[in-house]
Formats: sequence, C-alpha cells, structure tokens
Amino acid sequence: MFLKVRLPIMLTFFAGLIPIVAFFFVDGTPVVKKLSNSLEQDMVIVSGFALLLGVVNVVQGNVRKIEPREKGWFYAIVLLAGMAFMGLFGAAGAMRLFGLPGIGMMPDGRPTPFQWGSLYMFTPLQATMFALLAFYIASAAFRAFRIRNLEATILLVAAVFVMLGRIPIGEPLFGPITEWMMQVPNGAAQRGIIIGAALGAASLSLRVILGIERSYLGLDKNE
Amino acid sequence: MSNLAKLTSIDRRWIFLLIGLGTLIPVLLPIGFPVRVTAPVKQIFDKIETFGPNDVIVLSYDYGPTTGAENDPMTDAILRHCFSHDIKVIALALYPLGGLTSLTASIDRIAAEYPNLQYGVDYVNLGYKDGGQATMKLLAEDFSGAFPNDTHGTPLSELPLMQRVKGARNAQLAISVATGIFGEWWANLINAQYGLPVAVGCTAVSAPKYYAYLEAGQMIGLIGGLKGASEYEQLVKDNYPATREAYANPMLQTASKGMDVQTIDHLIIIAFIVIGNIAYFADRRAKRA
Repeated sequence: MFLKVRLPIMLTFFAGLIPIVAFFFVDGTPVVKKLSNSLEQDMVIVSGFALLLGVVNVVQGNVRKIEPREKGWFYAIVLLAGMAFMGLFGAAGAMRLFGLPGIGMMPDGRPTPFQWGSLYMFTPLQATMFALLAFYIASAAFRAFRIRNLEATILLVAAVFVMLGRIPIGEPLFGPITEWMMQVPNGAAQRGIIIGAALGAASLSLRVILGIERSYLGLDKNE
Repeated sequence: MSNLAKLTSIDRRWIFLLIGLGTLIPVLLPIGFPVRVTAPVKQIFDKIETFGPNDVIVLSYDYGPTTGAENDPMTDAILRHCFSHDIKVIALALYPLGGLTSLTASIDRIAAEYPNLQYGVDYVNLGYKDGGQATMKLLAEDFSGAFPNDTHGTPLSELPLMQRVKGARNAQLAISVATGIFGEWWANLINAQYGLPVAVGCTAVSAPKYYAYLEAGQMIGLIGGLKGASEYEQLVKDNYPATREAYANPMLQTASKGMDVQTIDHLIIIAFIVIGNIAYFADRRAKRA
C-alpha cells in the first residue's frame, strides 16, 4: 500500500509543489530554485525516454499491420525502414561511431547520412504534406461556406474579410477591419478559451498534486 | 437541375487545378504586390532598433519543415536585421526539426552574407534540446543547464558571447518563430516569470490565438504568417539597403514573392465561395419550383 499508493502520491505532491513555489520566488530561496532546476533537468531526461516509448509503439503497431498483410502493409515497411535508417544513423552520428562526425554536416561540407535523410527525404516530404492542405482547404471552403443560416453567414463574411485583409489587393479597405476583428472579437474569444483551458489545467494539476486524481497510478478515487 | 445549380457538385479536381496554377504561375512570374506594414510587426522591428551592439536577442526556431514556407522568411529577416544592426543572436530550437534543418541551415546561410561576423562572439547556434517547457525554464536561468555545448560540441563556457549571457533572462528580447503552442510557452513562462520581452512569429493559422497575448501586453509584437513575414522583409529592405541585394536573388523564395501566391490563391478561393453560393441558391430555387 505504501509503495504502491502513498509513496507515489507523496512524490507527486513534492514534485508538483516545488516548481510552483519556485515560480513565485525568481531571485530568492536558492534551495527551492536548485530543487526546481534539478526537477526540470530530470523532466528533460524523462521526455527522452518517452521517445523510446514512442518508437516501441510505432514498431509494434506497424508489425501488426505487416504480419497479416493488412491494407497498406507496404507503407508500414517503408515507415519502419525510414525509422531504422534515421534511428541508426542518428544514434551512430550522435555517438561518433563509424567515423561519423555527428548528425549535421561533415567538415568537407557534405551531409552526414542522417542529415542527408533529413534534408532530402524528411524535409521535402513534410513540406509536401503540409502544402497539400492548400488544395483541400480551397475545396472545403467551396463546399462549407454557404449562406445557410445566420451563423454560417457570419462565418463566411468574417472569412472573406480576413482573406481579403491579408492580401495586398484587399488590404487598403479590409486590412483595418481584419485587424479590428483579430484584436476585438477574436481576441475576446481567444482570451475566454485560454483562461478556461488554463483554469481547467490548474484544477486538474491541483487534483493530481493533492492526490485526489489517482488514475495515473492505475487506481480509482477510493483506492 | 439548372446548369448553374450543377456547379454545387463541381468536380473538386477543377478547384485543385486552379489552385495549382494560381500557385505555380506567380512563383514562375512574380508580380510584386506592394506590402503595407502593420503595427504588430513594426513593434518588433522598432524594439530591435532600440538595441545597441552589446544587446542580445534569443531566437528560438520552434518550427519544422511543414511550416517552413511561412516561418523561414521570418527567421531570415530577423537575422538579417540583427546582423545588420550589430545585435548579438543566441539561436536555439525547441522543436525537433527546427534545430537540425531550419536553424543550422538558416543561420549558416545568413551569417555568410556578413563576412565580419564571428561565431561565438556575434552569434551562437545552440541546436535542439528536447523537453519543451522544462528546457525553456532551464535556459531562462542558465543556458548551460539545458545546453552544456553548442551545436558544434563546444562547451558554452568557451564561447565569449555565452560567457556574458548566463540565461535567457539576461537577454534583451526573446523571439520564438513557432508552430503550434511554443510561442504561448514563451509568453507564459519567460515573459510572465522573468519579465523578458517576448515576440512571436507564427503561422497564419495560429495568429488569432496570439492576439490575446499581444493585446494583454505579454508579447511586444507578432509576425503573423506569410503576410507578417513579408512586412518584416519590407522593413529590413527599407531600413538596410545592403540587404536588398540578398533579397534580389531570383532563386531566393522570399515572403514577398510568397504573397503573390497567397493573393492569387485567396482570390481563387473567394471566387469559388461566391460561385458556390450562387449555385446553392440556384439549386434551392430549382428545388422549390
């Protein structure tokens, strides 16, 4: 009971409390500050392990697709091959193995294998995927922006004003309107969303710190 | 169904074709629409103008290749501004691909335009560090807590610029060129806790969110999307004529050239929205009849 429940809750309490206290004492309380910095360094390391978890998850998920030859199994092989290529050359470069000077450029200006994969495979692929959005947004705008009711009309008018306000041809007339829309109605709505989300995050954090929320331990509230 | 009403079910490949042409033609034949500078962008430029040769800005590459078309021109223009104005730059990345491709490629390319710059004295490339908010808090106090070495493996203690700037809180300004939530973290953690002025360059789709921070004074300025980037480019070109040569390179894809594409594509989308609504009403009338 102590090791499974109380100790993790106590650790969570202190790990959660220290950064909060440190936040309000930027220049004072060196002990708290040191503890907080130490926890933040630990968090950076732990987030590195999360990457490993992600890798295991991707491998498991894709192997499950390949074995029964599910639809798209060939793409799963491409994905795993790409991950193996980048992972192996990335790790070898970072550890300076096989004469690799790192993961960036070599001293003679040529890219390392990892950098080559990043520059000439991953970067253009990512950029292409994002660029495709322009086509789908245009198609979606054509189909979705219809004057069906008052709400849809407001949305349509706002979208057209902003699109015109963000291009040189429409800017002299629609630019000030766009800025006003961004600052006033949009700003007010965004503020409401941000404050609401922050309050929600703060209350959930408090529940975790105080040991009320225990689902992250695999426990029910009453356990 | 009338011919007009049939437009409601137009094959989307026609839309794709027109958007493709609207993108390709202005890239091959630039139009050069004029750029009008807005206040949120000018505020960042003016702030940097107030700095002197001993002042330092932290430039965080918090984006990857997906949004490079919007974000790359921002970082390029900010670097050209800083280097032209003799401001020191500490560049880093909190987004995985921001460090390896965007940051290193960008800072090396722009620094090469200024032969007098000395690495380690005028600018430093710290590379990428995982950890998001935790890393951000660490580097605010002490860069070496998050980045013991720069991207070349040199300990920070051996770099003259890093010897006199312990943490980001000791800089004069932090600029996050960001995709997603990173800009918010800079405003929430660094500006709120340390009072360091923060500016954000973001994608157009993220810009509405940042207006709340801008209006609240948690950010000194905002470069929103390609439009904002083109405005910053214009300010740099107008105030530092030597940079015009770099921007005149026909092979360089600048935000100003990108605005030609954005203009044509926005007009095509608006035209389709108008056509779609005319067809919608025609269809409705035909059904009633």
